[in-house]
Amino acid sequence: MAIADPANVTMDLPRRDARDKLLGRTRYTVDQSLPRMLHAAVLRSEVASARIVRIDTSRATKMPGVRAIALAEDAPGMHGIGIADHPLFAYDVIRFHGEQIAAVAADTYEQAQAAVRAIEVELEPLDPVLTMAEALAPDARLVHPDWKSYEILFEGGARGGNVAWEATVVRGDTEKAFAREDVIVVESCFRVGRQNHVSLEPRAAVASYEDGRYHIETSTQAPWTVRNQTAKLLGVPPSQVRVTVPPVGGGFGQKFDCTLEPYAAILARKSGRPVRLVYSRQEEMLTCLCRENAEIKIRSAVTRDGEIVGREAVVLMDCGAYGGEQIFLTTMTAHTLMGNYRLGSVKLASRAIYTNTAPNGAFRACNGVYNTFALKRHTDEICEAVGMDPLEFRRRNVLGDGDLGATGQVFEGEVLGPMLDRMASLRDKSPSLEHRAGNRLYGRATVVGTWFIFVGPSTATINLNADGTATLVTAGVEIGQGTMVQAMPQIVAHELGLHPDDVIVRTADTDAAGLDLGVGGGRTTVSVGAASRAAAEEVRNKILKAASELLQVAPEKLVLRNRRVEIAGVEGSGMTIASVVQHAQRATGPVVGSGSFTNPGVASMPGCAAGHFIDALEIPVFSVHDCEVAVDPDTGHVEVLSYKVVQDVGRALNPRAIYGQIQGGVTQGLGYALHEELTIGENGCIRQSSLETYRVPLALDTVPVQIDLYEGAPSIGPLGTKGAGEVPILNVAAAVACAVANATGRRVQQTPLTPPRVLGLLLGREPAIELPHIADDWWENVLMKRPSIPVRRS
Amino acid sequence: MATNILINGEAHVSTREPMTPLLDVLREELFLTGAKSVCREGICGACIVHLDGQPVVSCLVPVGTLEGREVRTVESLAAEGEPSPLQQVMEEHDVVQCGMCFPGILMTLTSFFRERPDAGRDEVKAALVGNICRCTGYERIVDAAIALAKRS
Repeated sequence: MAIADPANVTMDLPRRDARDKLLGRTRYTVDQSLPRMLHAAVLRSEVASARIVRIDTSRATKMPGVRAIALAEDAPGMHGIGIADHPLFAYDVIRFHGEQIAAVAADTYEQAQAAVRAIEVELEPLDPVLTMAEALAPDARLVHPDWKSYEILFEGGARGGNVAWEATVVRGDTEKAFAREDVIVVESCFRVGRQNHVSLEPRAAVASYEDGRYHIETSTQAPWTVRNQTAKLLGVPPSQVRVTVPPVGGGFGQKFDCTLEPYAAILARKSGRPVRLVYSRQEEMLTCLCRENAEIKIRSAVTRDGEIVGREAVVLMDCGAYGGEQIFLTTMTAHTLMGNYRLGSVKLASRAIYTNTAPNGAFRACNGVYNTFALKRHTDEICEAVGMDPLEFRRRNVLGDGDLGATGQVFEGEVLGPMLDRMASLRDKSPSLEHRAGNRLYGRATVVGTWFIFVGPSTATINLNADGTATLVTAGVEIGQGTMVQAMPQIVAHELGLHPDDVIVRTADTDAAGLDLGVGGGRTTVSVGAASRAAAEEVRNKILKAASELLQVAPEKLVLRNRRVEIAGVEGSGMTIASVVQHAQRATGPVVGSGSFTNPGVASMPGCAAGHFIDALEIPVFSVHDCEVAVDPDTGHVEVLSYKVVQDVGRALNPRAIYGQIQGGVTQGLGYALHEELTIGENGCIRQSSLETYRVPLALDTVPVQIDLYEGAPSIGPLGTKGAGEVPILNVAAAVACAVANATGRRVQQTPLTPPRVLGLLLGREPAIELPHIADDWWENVLMKRPSIPVRRS
Repeated sequence: MATNILINGEAHVSTREPMTPLLDVLREELFLTGAKSVCREGICGACIVHLDGQPVVSCLVPVGTLEGREVRTVESLAAEGEPSPLQQVMEEHDVVQCGMCFPGILMTLTSFFRERPDAGRDEVKAALVGNICRCTGYERIVDAAIALAKRS
């Protein structure tokens, strides 16, 4: 059958949701309102660690307007990723400042808050474990004394005490590599803080209980996760939960997990009325599932020629009080910190550590952002030690066609090398802005990064309508990234010879669409796109078959274009798609097609990775960033002078939309690199409780990013696409930190590079990061046992 | 304690407590949900409306101070459903992402361009420092605004 020409799928399609968003008419979850709707508030712990002695709701129950109170007994289940360690409400022990103890629904939000304050809680305080160093101390109190009894949801990770999960990679013999006489050994330590997503729409849900089922309208990236996790927590079958998703006002990973939906669901069932729960900005600041703080020790054995013969690393990721996303993210370190470059031998321990702090979660290019920073700074320290130009070192060592990744995956195609060339020509085209530094210190860096597309299951159904339009039903969500209003209609229209405007995209509803992993990991265009394309193919074949009979022309000679079934090469011939559909509806039944997709599986080297959720990258994504900075020697202020990105996008369906993602992702990365700082006080509470103290980038903090989209790298995505929205943030902290190190000649070991920290570096007052709780002997850091050395018999 | 306010050209009587933020009156009494409740302390700019023609953060304006005054919200920018030139240029340049910040940004820039219709890039960026956008990285919004300024 004739295949539509993929050359014409690229277009700068305007967003169909922009008009209403600009008119102020779009109704996000926070704007939803139902008759008789109640308002909910949550009682949260004001200590980080305690035993719960008594909870008394008798006074609260009698407060004006109160309709329902939810407590631990209403949610018997535990949830989590890998390990079911997380109850909905604290029921015996408080594990973090801000932990949920009870939830109240009342006629007004103020009444619900008043009732929350009237709940009496008697606590017996315990000493909190607030840092990973404390958590790993030999006599540390356990955040989860019962960790052994938890249900294991995914096998393979080593666990023990405050180590929630440990993933390791052992490939080749690093001991031998480090013992070689021709190598220089370089060791580096890094520490990074947390980052809050600050989605302008907070987490929000409106739940109802109708006909024995829960209906949750929510601001989420992952409706199927909310459905399944809510059911697990409430102890009901998943089929009793329906999740629908209006337009989402920003996610960035924060809404990739189920969080507040079950509270609203319980209160709706108990009160028999719709319940609205919207987290306040303060709740969002204090209990957001932040990008985790992390500590990294990495050392490499490198020859004088710049060959990396051995690399060992330990990465500690603070998961907070519950494992959550960090347990999965231990997987990613093999591909981020240990990615990008050819390595002769590898030892890596990636560990999620429990502390009595607010749980962390997923945030755009999770794990990759700080590991890319650490790797690039480490690489520059290597270059200094062996006396090699950093760009030359990158060129020599980046993974190319047929090279082995850390877990033994074989990489396809030369991508990073040519992308470095493209960055060189982008640099040549626009003159350096060094003159703008004036009397300040000038620095520049070019860095590479590797990320991936988190594929996994998606489904799609397409109904072709009698007017020639198509209705696409998926569980994909529009969170602002544009995929559901641009790439999806483009892919379907392309397959069916329609205009994207002819494709109606159904908003996510778990009762209407099948399983989907959610919007995250750059997966929507690839996974939902592949499922949609498969559904469109089925529809296309049905149309061609029906038209072939009507026109008495072999289907191979027919094409779908301009909303018509035409005889190939004869423009205007044949008939409209609408008339074929109308005929089919009478003759054989309405035209419908379905498609599904999941990860095809990419091989790693057997036996070298343990505790990994995925052993290899299904679709690697590469990016090269270049940054010029000026550092004020008197204040430590860093100004970004210029920023350039060469990004591997596979194929750009909508270049203008990708530019928007890159400009936005880089700006978010600049905030992380320079001024978004979260710290935890002695009481275990995050100190930055509002946007006044947590500094996100404003209009004057960013620069126009110069962008070159690199197309043509191998991808299994539909039409050769890769996700483009997640990766723009990946290299930013790395690029800025390397440029600041270049400008100042100082060892940059930490982000964010706030003025006081940079000034401290310049004055030699910034204490070096040493991480004594990570042992020098790699084997002392891991739960897995050192293999016994075979005794040679004489 | 009734307060008489002219909202988008229509008379409205609010009976809320005098300290109730204007933002809540707009969103909860009139279901004018264009202005967004994001930080509720005057930092993010998502709730900006015009009060007697001047941009204000409606989360910090008590309704009790509004007797006889005139409020305009983002919903009023499109006269008879026709987007304003500023709304049109934002749509043409495809700069919207999640969209939560745009009601505030549009109100800021609408009043800014009344004063400085031919403003340059740096001025536009400076005008936007009271509006947080987490998606776009601002520059493409500024590009669109400058394109409008050049037309004037």
